[in-house]
Amino acid sequence: MSAQICERRAVISGVGQSAIGRQVDRSGFALTIDAITAAVSDAGLALDDIDGLAMFPGGGKANLPGYANGNLYEVQDALRITTTWRQGQVEGMSLPFYGPAMAVATGQARHVVIWRTVKEGSAARGAGGRVAYGSTQPAAEGPLAWLLPIGMLSPVCQVAPYAARYMHDYGVSRDQLGWIPVTQRAHAALNPDAVYRTPLTIEDYLASRMISTPICLFDCDVPLDGSTAIVVSAAETVADLRAPVRIEAMAGVIDGRPSWEQWEDFGRVGYATAAAMWNRTTLRPSDVDAAQLYDGFTIEVIWWLEAMGFCGTGEGGAFVDGGARIGLGGQLPTNTWGGQLSGGRLHAGFGHTAEAVRQLRGEAGDRQVHDAEVVAVTNVGGYEAGAALLTRW
Amino acid sequence: MAGTDDEGASEGTHVGATAGIPPVITEETAAFWAAAKEGRLLVERCASCGAESFPPYGVCRACRSREVEHVEITEHGAVYSLTVNYQRWLPDLDVPYAMVLVEFPDHPGVRVAGRLRGCDPEAARIGMAVAVGFEPGPGDVAIPSFLALEEPA
Repeated sequence: MSAQICERRAVISGVGQSAIGRQVDRSGFALTIDAITAAVSDAGLALDDIDGLAMFPGGGKANLPGYANGNLYEVQDALRITTTWRQGQVEGMSLPFYGPAMAVATGQARHVVIWRTVKEGSAARGAGGRVAYGSTQPAAEGPLAWLLPIGMLSPVCQVAPYAARYMHDYGVSRDQLGWIPVTQRAHAALNPDAVYRTPLTIEDYLASRMISTPICLFDCDVPLDGSTAIVVSAAETVADLRAPVRIEAMAGVIDGRPSWEQWEDFGRVGYATAAAMWNRTTLRPSDVDAAQLYDGFTIEVIWWLEAMGFCGTGEGGAFVDGGARIGLGGQLPTNTWGGQLSGGRLHAGFGHTAEAVRQLRGEAGDRQVHDAEVVAVTNVGGYEAGAALLTRW
Repeated sequence: MAGTDDEGASEGTHVGATAGIPPVITEETAAFWAAAKEGRLLVERCASCGAESFPPYGVCRACRSREVEHVEITEHGAVYSLTVNYQRWLPDLDVPYAMVLVEFPDHPGVRVAGRLRGCDPEAARIGMAVAVGFEPGPGDVAIPSFLALEEPA
């Protein structure tokens, strides 16, 4: 391992969350302040200790004509570039703590707070249902210009053809996929902050309505209201911290075409990221005690299981079948907080990271994985990808 | 509109595609959308190395030359994958409808997403042959709308 693993100069020191629910009748700003203050306190720090801030999405939508020009993904695609680090794009962070870890590792800050606040639950309720992606704009720009006009109006429709192709190529069935939401619902029952906690059966899954084939309702994550904040600190400050968690290795690679219709094979979207991450550590997949794998859709858990080497290519369906391997007490307890499918769509890896930290500290309550020392976190199954191993301090 | 002849296949349960969100048309994509209105599928071909690519960027994705020209695809394509959407994402959206990602054996490097007509949406299959076509889309554009050419197995 010749490369300098500078993420080891950073730790995750705090996680905090606001009230979380399908509808929380407080402003996004109020939820944000709740999460940030909770996270800083959780780290054992005071707000005056914080010297770095970042939020997702960075920059957000331009609110002045001509203020933003071009699209990072289009430049990357046109010039056929592989990236190992990006910033300044709406989803341009492989992992929530990626940029902050670089900032503290290079001495630009000592304690950075990053947060993600969503009010998607209230927004969906107010609109009478989940609305079209991009419908806040009058016309579709960038990569969406090829998707929204044909009726590919949601990430559900956009991921669906890749799910269909994967299931076709490897003979994976919905009877197998259904064990992911069923198992994660069982985990959510043990998480008081989860959005959906009542039992879900494989029969419920198979009977649920189709959104965009082969993706059904229970394959989709759940829009909610809530905020998650994470504090990333320089490792040299650990004496000041209550319960830091080590960042063993992290990576985020885009080596395919960053678009929902041009990526050659979405089943492989995490492979280069996982390979780069494993190249930065001597730990192996068999060393991982629990996995928090991005689950905007069920199929993305399958793809991450394979990309990370927890099973072979095309073996994800068999791996999750019956739920035993991915359940608490199984070979690889997965999305132990319920994931976005039942815990709720905290989005962009923030919920997954918060759970990894709690498991490594032994603070996961009834859903605690016994003696968890190594937890994998992956983020995003669209054309962004990030993966990390967090370990006990 | 040319290119929308259905070559004998039934329109069947096909719903319209005019409800939705139109594209922003740019310097790079204007030629594509103009040709689409004429029922023609244009992609970029590099004048330097001959590689074809999609979507149009004014840059060759193989050799990065800026000297690109347009070429029309008239051959049949094959469905790489598909989905049938049942969700009414917009109030006036007609459902269900099938959408396909189409590749062209004679045009490596080109994959185009569009709707599918000419068969029942649920009859769409990976690998099925399709003809190039367009139909009226949101705003004032014509969108790719491929035509099923065979009864799926």
